[in-house]
Amino acid sequence: MADTYPQSSGAGADFDLSQFYQIFFEEAGENLDQMERMLLNLDLDAANDEELNGIFRCAHSIKGGAATFGFSDVAELTHHMESLLDKLRRHELRLIAPMVDALLESADASRSLLARHQAGGQGEAPSTHDLVRSISELVSGAVPAIPAPVVEQPQPAPAPGPAAVAPALPTAAAGGQRALEIHIGPLDQPALADAIKELFRDIPGLGQIEDLPDERAGMRRFAVQTVSSDEDLLDLFAFHVAKEQVAIHGAAVAAPADQAAITPAEQYGFFAGAPGVPVDEVAAAALAVTGAPVASAVKPAQARAPAESRQGTQASMESSTIRVAVNKVDQLINLVGELVITQAMLAQNSRGLDAGLHQQLLAGLADLDRNTRDLQESVMSIRMIPMSTVFNRFPRMLRDLAGKLGKKVDFVTHGEATELDKSLVEKITDPLTHLVRNSLDHGIEAPEARLAVGKPEHGTLTLSASHQGGSIAIEVRDDGKGMSREKILKKARERGLDVHDAMPDGEVWQLIFAPGFSTADVVTDVSGRGVGMDVVKRNISALGGSVEIDSAEGYGMRVSVRLPLTLAIMDGMSVGVGEEVYILPLSSVVESFQVNADDLNTVAQGSQLVKVRGDYMPVVALERIFQVPRTTDAQGPGNNIMVVVEADGSRVAVLVDELLGQHQVVVKNLETNYRKVPNVSGATILGDGTVALILDTGALVRRARH
Amino acid sequence: MNIVDKGIEAIAAGAKEYLSFRLGQEEYGIDILKVQEIRGYEAPTRIAHAPAFIKGVINLRGTIVPIVDMRLRFACAQAEYSSLTVVIILNLRDRVVGIVVDSVSDVLELAPEQLRVAPELDTGMDAQCIRGLGSVGDRMLILLDIERLMSSMDMGLAAAEG
Repeated sequence: MADTYPQSSGAGADFDLSQFYQIFFEEAGENLDQMERMLLNLDLDAANDEELNGIFRCAHSIKGGAATFGFSDVAELTHHMESLLDKLRRHELRLIAPMVDALLESADASRSLLARHQAGGQGEAPSTHDLVRSISELVSGAVPAIPAPVVEQPQPAPAPGPAAVAPALPTAAAGGQRALEIHIGPLDQPALADAIKELFRDIPGLGQIEDLPDERAGMRRFAVQTVSSDEDLLDLFAFHVAKEQVAIHGAAVAAPADQAAITPAEQYGFFAGAPGVPVDEVAAAALAVTGAPVASAVKPAQARAPAESRQGTQASMESSTIRVAVNKVDQLINLVGELVITQAMLAQNSRGLDAGLHQQLLAGLADLDRNTRDLQESVMSIRMIPMSTVFNRFPRMLRDLAGKLGKKVDFVTHGEATELDKSLVEKITDPLTHLVRNSLDHGIEAPEARLAVGKPEHGTLTLSASHQGGSIAIEVRDDGKGMSREKILKKARERGLDVHDAMPDGEVWQLIFAPGFSTADVVTDVSGRGVGMDVVKRNISALGGSVEIDSAEGYGMRVSVRLPLTLAIMDGMSVGVGEEVYILPLSSVVESFQVNADDLNTVAQGSQLVKVRGDYMPVVALERIFQVPRTTDAQGPGNNIMVVVEADGSRVAVLVDELLGQHQVVVKNLETNYRKVPNVSGATILGDGTVALILDTGALVRRARH
Repeated sequence: MNIVDKGIEAIAAGAKEYLSFRLGQEEYGIDILKVQEIRGYEAPTRIAHAPAFIKGVINLRGTIVPIVDMRLRFACAQAEYSSLTVVIILNLRDRVVGIVVDSVSDVLELAPEQLRVAPELDTGMDAQCIRGLGSVGDRMLILLDIERLMSSMDMGLAAAEG
């Protein structure tokens, strides 16, 4: 066999880790994101064990990965973070704000260290010396450390038990040997645990193991004397039992009174963190500081529930995901699009068949129809990612910005699970960041100002996302000082814009989107939301979306952004002109009606206006714009349907021959192989396999307005 | 000597393979490596304001491909569309383009000694786009630099103002 695969064995010999670098960087990035999120959510006064454990796990994963790949600087930094977090989750230190700051800073530092490694180690490594020192100070209790049991004791210890607390065992015995207590289970076969005892017998120098009594079914307890680290032990045990089933505690001879004081939640915390907990020096230090056993035997009743809930969380954690290159997904989408077209063609060709003679064929085609639809839907959903990926970046930004501005703000998000096409998510992030920043910078007042007007000291900034029909609505709302109608109008007049006092509010607010309305003095005098608002509006319009503003002076303001769900597929209305078919984006279609010759008026150079409910609207005749050839005899129903479309806040009536229907169309780029065509935003493939052009309503409106 | 050996020998001698097609009475040759496929003509979707020789765009298995009628481009006497009209799909450096021709003849292998420099011509196209003339027996092939021809401005394929 060895001769048959000489290459594979050779490759195994000098195994190249670098091929896994990318995965590590991605995972580390995710872990850092998650850690940051959880740090920001931490409640300083009542830190949840579950959260602390979660943060600890993130740091630990990064440390493990970094050490494996030889990024010692990252490993060192995360190791210190881990030490601090470990003390926190053991309640040996009380969580204080400087710790969160230090941890956040360390997360940033790790990120830049990782980025440097990812770039191939170019440039100078950022120094982490100061960070490491400040973390070490925090760990050593430079700030008052309160022994955990005192803080955590919510009620008098219920268990009677012996009052005298047994003195802690000399855990750090000679030669770095540690006394540990190991819980294993629940096991189906207790014999597996015996195999662990054999490990200690078989491996010289591992240490000693002794059975301890355990009354719970399927659970085993061992007292172990060893010099090995917990990781090593767990790795060894993994030959026989699952890591999750092993819990290693810094040893203690049972101290029942203290045990009882430890709440089930804490026990749970211990269990969850158990795999890979570096108990070594941390645990020893912990014992020294608190002078109390860290943990010990678990009461059966207490253990059961946590164990079950742990299994629950693990199951949800295992909801597995895979990383796939976007171009593979796009290829899949293209192929499915092809399939849909082929299916439509088959359906069209089979229409004339006799249902009696071709029953099976037609039934098969009906199935094909259903399946392709489902397939298309599922494939499209692959590209969808939740809004939380955008929202998650804001808490950190707001925290830093609020600190800088001396403001206090609560950040609330709704609808993080709302899904949006990946490409849209990437493109909406910058405009949203801008809006959120503006709200905090110019909307929410300083704490004193808020108190002075009778508002709570903390401002509230709400970010929400929801599906509304075929689009997604994202709202940025604050309870700040809002915008002043008078000041905007005044400013607009100074700029020579066409405004009058009777303008509806909606139109006044739209003024701040005017390019150049965003000057520095507007920022301070009015509400300042003009900064780059024109850019925000333009970016959102480019995605086929719209922005609306609502504000009440003194009460805050709301910016609503509407976006299509995806750029790859849109709802279209197909219209016929002569022999040709064009697609109008349904999102911009307002209404359609049949027009009488009397309602059409011509102005000067032949441009037409149509009267709609008393108002005159410019007419865009597709036939003229696209020079549609028309054979005189095929006049047919004629040119008498108006479709009113809206873009950039104004409306035009598009004159067509007939409305053909509404359907979802897959948007294709014309410019890949051809070039930009005026008044056309893209192309799509119709059911019969031919190409139809998608009209650029924005361009049509601009054309008519000029 | 079998065909394969002959081919290898020819390539070693610097020979290249050309796809020959007819436009009216003229016979043209293009580098076979630029050809993606050959298919029948189907009515494309017209693009407004495009030059007359750009017939429009078609759906090539999900890709939108512009169609250029070479007969109109080279001002042939007539350009009819029948069931025999052929579209050659070219895969050029940065785009996929279809060209309409009267018929595709065959694939020819031309050795360097069969190539002639094209004389200065007064034609409807940039002389740079003609690589040379190939003589095969009594046939004369106009060898086109199709890449250059398709990317030249007056084709209106690239994003120029035309």
